[in-house]
Amino acid sequence: MNHGTEVINIVFGLDPQWYAGILFVLTYLLIMSERINRAIISLTAAGLMILGGVLTQEAAMEGIDFNTIGLLTGMMIIVAITKQSGVFQYLAIWSAKLVGASPWGILVMLSLVTAVLSALLDNVTTVLLIAPVTLLITDSLKVNPYPYLFAEIFSANIGGTATLIGDPPNIMIGSAVGLTFNDFIINLGPIVAILLAIIFIPIYLIWGRNLRASPEARQRVMDYNENDAITDTRLLKQSLLVLAIVIIGFTNSHQIGHEPATIAMFGGALLLLLSNLPRSPGEQSKEIEKIFSQIEWITIFFFIGLFIIVYGVEKTGLLELVANEIMTLTKGDAQNTTLLILWVSAVASAVVDNIPFVATMIPLIQNMGPSLGGSEALMPLWWALALGSCLGGNGSLVGASANLIVAGFAERAGQPIRFLPFMLMAFPLMLGTIAISTVYIYLRYL
Amino acid sequence: MAASSTSETHPTARDLMDAHPTVLHPSDKVSKGVKCIMEHRYRRLPVVDDEGRFKGVFGVNCLLRLVLPKAVVMDKGLSTVPFVRDSLSDLHRRLKEVEDEPISLCMHDESTQVSPDTPLLETLLTLYKTRASLPVVDPKTQKLVGVISYFDVGEKILSAEA
Repeated sequence: MNHGTEVINIVFGLDPQWYAGILFVLTYLLIMSERINRAIISLTAAGLMILGGVLTQEAAMEGIDFNTIGLLTGMMIIVAITKQSGVFQYLAIWSAKLVGASPWGILVMLSLVTAVLSALLDNVTTVLLIAPVTLLITDSLKVNPYPYLFAEIFSANIGGTATLIGDPPNIMIGSAVGLTFNDFIINLGPIVAILLAIIFIPIYLIWGRNLRASPEARQRVMDYNENDAITDTRLLKQSLLVLAIVIIGFTNSHQIGHEPATIAMFGGALLLLLSNLPRSPGEQSKEIEKIFSQIEWITIFFFIGLFIIVYGVEKTGLLELVANEIMTLTKGDAQNTTLLILWVSAVASAVVDNIPFVATMIPLIQNMGPSLGGSEALMPLWWALALGSCLGGNGSLVGASANLIVAGFAERAGQPIRFLPFMLMAFPLMLGTIAISTVYIYLRYL
Repeated sequence: MAASSTSETHPTARDLMDAHPTVLHPSDKVSKGVKCIMEHRYRRLPVVDDEGRFKGVFGVNCLLRLVLPKAVVMDKGLSTVPFVRDSLSDLHRRLKEVEDEPISLCMHDESTQVSPDTPLLETLLTLYKTRASLPVVDPKTQKLVGVISYFDVGEKILSAEA
């Protein structure tokens, strides 16, 4: 089979589409089984894609989206340094005191802080920072932390939908299609704001109206001194400066002509430089080792392997075949295809990791371009994919990494979030957010 | 005769240990465990089941764990809390909330232990790394056969011929 100038020399004379397809399905099944670490699975499968002859090493390197990798890594470095200043704890306590330590007010405020931070950082980092403070506050208030953690899961996934850097699917979509930070804010910001406001209604009806705390308990929270959370004022100033530069860089990336990965990596390097200037070379090495150890290498290598696998499948022409089948199913109608992508992405992302799902969907949608009338006609499909894959993560505990992180905290605090009870509550709420998104997409794009 | 000779020339954990240590049972209440370690100023005590099998340790670290908020002592919890203004009464309140719970709730599943036949230097190195009294456990039966404290070791070293 000839694909452009490349000739695939598959092992044992197997059909490349069958080989890549089976490898791809096996990879998915193994990731879903959670028996083997996902980075091991994706790197092994990527190796088999090359060793099997579907891709050469050079082609595999071409398949890796270094813009996604660079953006993720750069932001991880910035967050790893910034969090040492205590600014995130400050924000959480400040917001709790702003509402007089009222239990419902705190739930709303912590959820909003989670949503905003998720939009500017990544969901996993955000919940790692906010969930422990939440448990501390609910312990002082003597209230059940479950509703707070539930609301934070939803807020993290909804908030992360708003920006290019908020959730890995958006990073991947933005990088593949060339969408800017502003594109995401303009197109997804309004629906995210609407969903954030609406999601508090069911949470209030289910839990919020029964949240009570004694005046003494509320006073304990009011006695927290948020200023003491800031442990390093100098680092705080440096971090806020670099974060501001990076955000301004993202919003103006189109004008300055640089990719988000360059901006994020430069931001990370600049903050490393500023924060390490007063240290001796020996101390710098120790500090950098500590910061680099906080980069989620499992996620980074998972991405690298995944990009190679999906590129291999794409090279065999398999995704083109599937795209044509979808076009036949939707009769080439842009509206039907968009809504199909939105709903399928949401349900799929609730049960499988949304990162491999989106990695597969991107070339699939790109292959639909000619049938739907070019790249401009694909825009509603990209927004549908972003909304479906990010919001779908709310459907179950395994829908997003952030959900599992929060569940881990809840377990350790003696208030476990069980898979089925969570899903019984979360899945219908997630479908509700998708229904609202359907209306939004229909009114705005179709 | 041979055993005695070996003991003198190549002492092991058995030669250093206190063979009759104070122990707690997993079903003992937290209040009993706290009273025991506070009265005798023990840093920690071994916990054994009805058959004398070693189950873990309960000590001052467990006590601190009980009076601190869970968000602080949990894995990946808050590493610093300079902004919290809890009083001693708040800490006492937390302890009161769990005083009737069994100590198994918070005892440390101690993995660091030595067997009665662990050689002297290896035992001392383990003690040095553990920085607390060391359970001596029979590897076959998992029964606690003694405890080695810094003081037991100090006495033995000082009483030995130089």
